[in-house]
Amino acid sequence: MTPQRLLLFSAARQLFAFNLQEVCEVMEPQQCYPFAGVPPHYLGLINFHGNLTALVDLASYLGLQSRPLPGKLLVIDTRLAHLALKVDAVGSILDAGSITGASSHDDPLTEALLETPQGSVRLIRLEALLSGLEQELQGSVPNDAKPGGT
Amino acid sequence: MDMSQYKALFLSESREYLRSIAEQVVALEQSPAERSAVDALFRGAHSLKGMAASMEYGDVVVVAHGMEDLMARVRDGALPFDAGVADLLLEGVDLIDALLDDVEQERPSTLPTGDYAQRLAIYTPARPKASREVQAEPEPTHPDAAAPPAAEAEKAKESAGEAGGTVRVKTELLDHLINLTGELVTNKQRLLNIGRELASPALDDAVSETAKLLRALHDEVMKVRLMPFEAISDRFQRSVRSVAKKSGKEIHFELTGREIGLDRGMLEQLVDPLNHILRNAVDHGIEESGERERAGKPARGTVWLAVTRDRDRIQITVRDDGRGMEPKAMIEAAIAKGVLSPEEGELLSPDQALMLSCIPGFSTAKEVTDISGRGVGMDAVNAAIQKLGGTLGIDSEPGRGTTITLRLPLTIAIIHALVVQIGQVKAAIPVNAVQRTVELSRGQIETMGKRQMFQLDGEPIPLLSLNRVLGLPLGRFPDGILPLFVTQAKGRRVGIVVDRLLGQHELFVKQLGRPLSKMAGVAGGATLGDGEIVAILDLAGLL
Repeated sequence: MTPQRLLLFSAARQLFAFNLQEVCEVMEPQQCYPFAGVPPHYLGLINFHGNLTALVDLASYLGLQSRPLPGKLLVIDTRLAHLALKVDAVGSILDAGSITGASSHDDPLTEALLETPQGSVRLIRLEALLSGLEQELQGSVPNDAKPGGT
Repeated sequence: MDMSQYKALFLSESREYLRSIAEQVVALEQSPAERSAVDALFRGAHSLKGMAASMEYGDVVVVAHGMEDLMARVRDGALPFDAGVADLLLEGVDLIDALLDDVEQERPSTLPTGDYAQRLAIYTPARPKASREVQAEPEPTHPDAAAPPAAEAEKAKESAGEAGGTVRVKTELLDHLINLTGELVTNKQRLLNIGRELASPALDDAVSETAKLLRALHDEVMKVRLMPFEAISDRFQRSVRSVAKKSGKEIHFELTGREIGLDRGMLEQLVDPLNHILRNAVDHGIEESGERERAGKPARGTVWLAVTRDRDRIQITVRDDGRGMEPKAMIEAAIAKGVLSPEEGELLSPDQALMLSCIPGFSTAKEVTDISGRGVGMDAVNAAIQKLGGTLGIDSEPGRGTTITLRLPLTIAIIHALVVQIGQVKAAIPVNAVQRTVELSRGQIETMGKRQMFQLDGEPIPLLSLNRVLGLPLGRFPDGILPLFVTQAKGRRVGIVVDRLLGQHELFVKQLGRPLSKMAGVAGGATLGDGEIVAILDLAGLL
């Protein structure tokens, strides 16, 4: 079911959307601190109102060409995750009534492909995104370095 | 009348009653003549029934009513308190617990409460033989035990109820208070840094005074977070009872220190590790009755669980009077499994050999049972305790028993940690995991086979690069000095080489939410005084 209101944003020249209720804040880029042992699309950790929040470059995670723009940070609702996504730009809030068509998509990360006045939009399934990030972290266990290797 | 506003209160109070009932049942099994506990059980079931009736939760009423009737028969002498009664009452506790979950989730219940009530109503005592078995053996007396378990449980319950002038506070509010206090601790560090830069004695004085007040505030706030150990202890009594029953062993279980307060966040995380240790003690530690008697021991084995507090440390010990562990056998098993080479085995002290049981996949149990699993537990227990900032120690004497000691901080919110630099990243290691720091010159490094080692107190210590473990570029050390810290991993000491040792810091630990909370080897994060964020490493999970 399509949410009542969507937040549109762009990454790697593609349009995406989140259910507006899943996003708690849109921020300007801020100081980010590197975090060891994570895949390269993790840009590091930011301090979001006291919550230590992982910052992930969405385009890079999706295997798309990340653009060298300052971009914006989409902070996911802190009740759901401690995650912020770096995206290129954040557009408008879209009312469900403006959607002219919807079709399913093979990618499990995509809830639906929506036709909107702004063009074709991939509605992201947040739970799938979080599970994917978690599985990847569980898979990237630390190097099994045997004692002796300095 | 709309009762929904009272639902949270009903659920919380009902669960307290259930916890108390379960404790009383297990305690009564060991001292069936304890009249005060029989009365308390009856009152518990009666109160639960009354509360559920006023909230119109009919299923809970049916089950609690059945339990109350059964206890009335015990109280009036029509029924002895035997294992069958205990089983039925514990089944009732589980049933009500499940019903409360349904109430909480606002879903209709499909549990067969009618069948349970009927079984209670027609229950007749087991044959005399069974009841004699329960009572035949005299209770082992323990000099420390001033009161029988049932009376002790009742006393604990009463004292909890006596607290006048108390108020129920939502746990989120407490968490928020802790969070704010932690942020203040971080900010204090920031002010100290600024004070150093400005070289202002007046500012230093003010910050120093603020730091004292902050310490007092922190101590008070942490006290509010403490919950008595009894909040989880009923599960252990039931766990021991259930394993003893399954394995056909006679066990006496003693619990002391149920009133000791522990950090609320820590309590829940202690349930699985302690359950595992206790199940191991019953399943593998305590011998069969016949074997015990042949060894000149009482047929009934004893397992002690004791909680004590020494200033800002908590100590939990699980002791059994079973067969104990043989260090030599542990080393032989480790060599046979390829965990150790024979040469490495010779280097291990008896204490280190016992710690081999904490290596993943290591087990010397002759039989795998469905009770204690397949030897995959103690490594997880050790990792869980280290994650809480604690340590695990094993002491054992063949033929006399084993003692497992957990030493834990009073709080898991604020810790002391060693901050290190590795590549471009800073990371923190809880000081409880750091035995010492060393600055090693290259000349002190020896190569043994493929391994690089150095000598510390006459013991060869293998070296490991934290950069390599975390997939970071290796340090260069142009001055020929390698900074490292020594820690314990897989039963022996290891030197962990880093790029720089940046000193000890007081850190307010923050849990990392999804997705980073799933990452192995990371216990949380913290903010340094200059605002920089560091990961707090969990070495047990990392190495």
